[in-house]
Amino acid sequence: MSSYLLSRAFQAVVTLFVMSVLVFVGLYLVGNPVDVLLSPSATPAERLEIIQSFGLDRPVWEQYFLFVSRALTGDLGNSFVFNQPALDLILHRMPATMELAFTALVMALVIGIPLGIRAGLKPEGLISKSIMTFSILGFSLPTFWIGLIMIMVFSVQLGWLPASGRGDTVSILGVPLSFLTLDGLSHLILPAFNLALFKISLVIRLTRAGVMEIMQLDFVRFARAKGIPESRILRVHVLKNTLIPLITVIGLELGSLIAFAVVTETIFAWPGMGKLIIDAISVLDRPVILAYLMITVIMFSIINLLVDILYSLVDPRVRLEGGSR
Amino acid sequence: MTSPILSISGLTTEFKVDGQWRDVIRDISFDIGARETLAVVGESGSGKSVTAMSIMRLLGANARSHGRIDFEGQDLLSLPLENMQAVRGNRIGMIFQEPMTSLNPVLKIGDQITEVLMQHRGLDHRAATAEAIRLLDKVRIPSAAARLNEYPMNFSGGMRQRVVIAIALACEPKLLIADEPTTALDVTIQAQILELIKTLQEEEDMSVLFITHDMGVVAEISDRTVVMYRGDVVETDTTERIFGNAAHPYTRALLSAVPQLGSMAGEPRPLRFPIVDMETGEAAPVKPTADTVRRNGEPILKVDNLVTRFPVRKGILRRTVGRIHAVEDVSFEVRAGETLSLVGESGCGKSTTGRSIIRLTEMTSGTVEIDGRNVGEASKTGLVEIRREAQMIFQDPFESLNPRMRIGQAIAEPMIAHGLAHATVARERVAALLEQVGLSPVMADRFPHEFSGGQRQRICIARALALDPKVIVADESVSALDVSIKAQVINLMLDLQEELGLGYLFISHDMAVVERISHRVAVMYLGEIVEIGPRQAVFENPQHDYTRKLMAAVPIADPTRRRTRQISSDEIRSPYRAADYQPPKRLYREISDGHLVQIDAEAA
Repeated sequence: MSSYLLSRAFQAVVTLFVMSVLVFVGLYLVGNPVDVLLSPSATPAERLEIIQSFGLDRPVWEQYFLFVSRALTGDLGNSFVFNQPALDLILHRMPATMELAFTALVMALVIGIPLGIRAGLKPEGLISKSIMTFSILGFSLPTFWIGLIMIMVFSVQLGWLPASGRGDTVSILGVPLSFLTLDGLSHLILPAFNLALFKISLVIRLTRAGVMEIMQLDFVRFARAKGIPESRILRVHVLKNTLIPLITVIGLELGSLIAFAVVTETIFAWPGMGKLIIDAISVLDRPVILAYLMITVIMFSIINLLVDILYSLVDPRVRLEGGSR
Repeated sequence: MTSPILSISGLTTEFKVDGQWRDVIRDISFDIGARETLAVVGESGSGKSVTAMSIMRLLGANARSHGRIDFEGQDLLSLPLENMQAVRGNRIGMIFQEPMTSLNPVLKIGDQITEVLMQHRGLDHRAATAEAIRLLDKVRIPSAAARLNEYPMNFSGGMRQRVVIAIALACEPKLLIADEPTTALDVTIQAQILELIKTLQEEEDMSVLFITHDMGVVAEISDRTVVMYRGDVVETDTTERIFGNAAHPYTRALLSAVPQLGSMAGEPRPLRFPIVDMETGEAAPVKPTADTVRRNGEPILKVDNLVTRFPVRKGILRRTVGRIHAVEDVSFEVRAGETLSLVGESGCGKSTTGRSIIRLTEMTSGTVEIDGRNVGEASKTGLVEIRREAQMIFQDPFESLNPRMRIGQAIAEPMIAHGLAHATVARERVAALLEQVGLSPVMADRFPHEFSGGQRQRICIARALALDPKVIVADESVSALDVSIKAQVINLMLDLQEELGLGYLFISHDMAVVERISHRVAVMYLGEIVEIGPRQAVFENPQHDYTRKLMAAVPIADPTRRRTRQISSDEIRSPYRAADYQPPKRLYREISDGHLVQIDAEAA
């Protein structure tokens, strides 16, 4: 186990390094932020001064070296636009995005698994077919369109739920959270459901396929021959086996939830990282983009590690070993 | 017979196929008496498993049964599901064929046993655990208490089948239904399980409904036998009378196709199977085989000190921490027109030997010569030429043919790939080959799914013959076939040997088939040959302990020759060794001309 963790940590560091090189070189090629930031009326002297203060006059390898040596001390540079540490900017916005993503994940599981089981047990029934039709809609309709429709129906027409913002938050350990206040929760429901819709469809399909496959297996037939009631067969024998592939996919999807939050955050004016990164890209605010991507890489590595550990807990056949096969 | 425990009358089961109900078993009737063992025997598609599943009502929504199944004063077919669940696993226990898949891979063994006890006997968790330990002891699982917390993956096939038996017997049922319980197991393990079922039956005072395709197992275990054929019961009688004096032609045809260990005593050469007409029960006369072995000249296949090991790696640096010694210092020869059989249980290295010979698996050391050419040192093009001389036939005819390729194409493919024939020439050759293996040339345009298992194996043989090979490696090539089909395919292989002078390396676990087909036999155990020699010498005068053990374990299709065996819990050992393991140099003793037996390291 410890050799496994060690090798995974090593992999993460390599990924981080490769990522930082790619992003750095990529951003260098895309364009000069000074052209975007500076007003056209600026004098050449002012221009030179800005370039020097950002360190953009040095060769790219030297800029990269500077970035890495600072990054090792926890300093990812100051935002060109806000003149604040980029890391602080992102960390300040992160809780909102994470809350949205995790709420969507919980929704996907709580709604998706029971519906998937139902659809898998009686695949020919009317209810099952309706569930599957819903999941096709969830897959194929664009997120932003559904988001707009939901705002029109629930906020504008019915007036049940607010259309934008985070509402009241409660600070727990210095992290502001919405879901603990009634007002916050009412702000959270629409964007979280909007973000979850695609994942609900995915979970339904995965669970259904898993249940249908496992119900055919010998050990289920043997459990029936043992006289075990169907409810227990489902709860004990089938569900645990269905969870195994689900965990892998959900782990990977958590990452994409955070990434796709950009769209949802824009529609519902949710004050998360998504908005920040979109703005940073449009003005080529290099430190913010870099810091965002670095944090994302680290987050992905941690999520994947947790998924693997969880996987080995559910499936006794999986043993965590160093390196890859 | 006293009043029966289970009485089936007029049982018909139908399946819904494309919206139509079609019967798969018709009007089945038989009784099982108290403490009686009844065998239901038949080939695939005979409906024997459907009968068992119908009794337990496990067939699902796509099936329906009529008739009566009387058990303990109630008709199981008209019982509400809830009451049926109280019968299943409680009054009737059931074991399935495949021990590897009967247990839930993600639940602990202990939980899978206790759930039955808690369900039917109302025990609390603590009492159920204690009872589970007692049950595992009873099926002879060593250190039972410690193994409760393990998962199925930690158990071998034989041990899993014991766990399954423990579960089936947990509530002391009156009837045990065993659906091919030993088919997936090695022969020595099969003998253990059969013995265990017999002993437990006496201890528990229960009846057994034993479903099998294996006439040897039937003769070994059953009091009475029901023979099924395509969904009908064709004959029901005591096992002695079925074997001694069967009334129905099908039963006679089935029995004549069963290879019997020991039936070849005094025969110097392989023997064809008599083919019995299914309608009349008359056997066609058997044509004796010619002496095909070319004793002078160089052998067609020569294997010297072949070693194949697989490294087992662990840790970040992928260090080799051990090796599987799959094949260890194996030497033998096959001459033109000769059949050498490699026989042994799973994991003994017989298949790896076959694959190493034509370098489907790379050997670690040793030399292999095919028709005088060194396989190990051959260049890429050289290897292609050598493989023309040595073709392989695999076990599963369903998986070794591409389902989207017409069989004519499949047979022609090697000729075209090796640049031996143009499309038109190849087509004529395909027609000739199909005729040679007993199929019709017009079948060339069909797809594999249109053929039965036996026909597909013939197609595989035709494909192997397409390149005019000198030697064929047949890896368990008849193991998956029904007995009557198996007999026909073996006859075909013997015919082809006579016609073409083929050398066969016949890899099999089935001692009785090996006895029938071989000129010489090599017995493998843990990657090594422990005994090799002329077939007659090895079978009539076995020298090595393992050879004897293997032969003693084979069930004999003759109820008058029943033996009692000791129940042991011996497992087949693993050829895994530490990285620094140096295998000892084995010495062989010559018993008679060409009959060599390994000398035990300790005894020497």
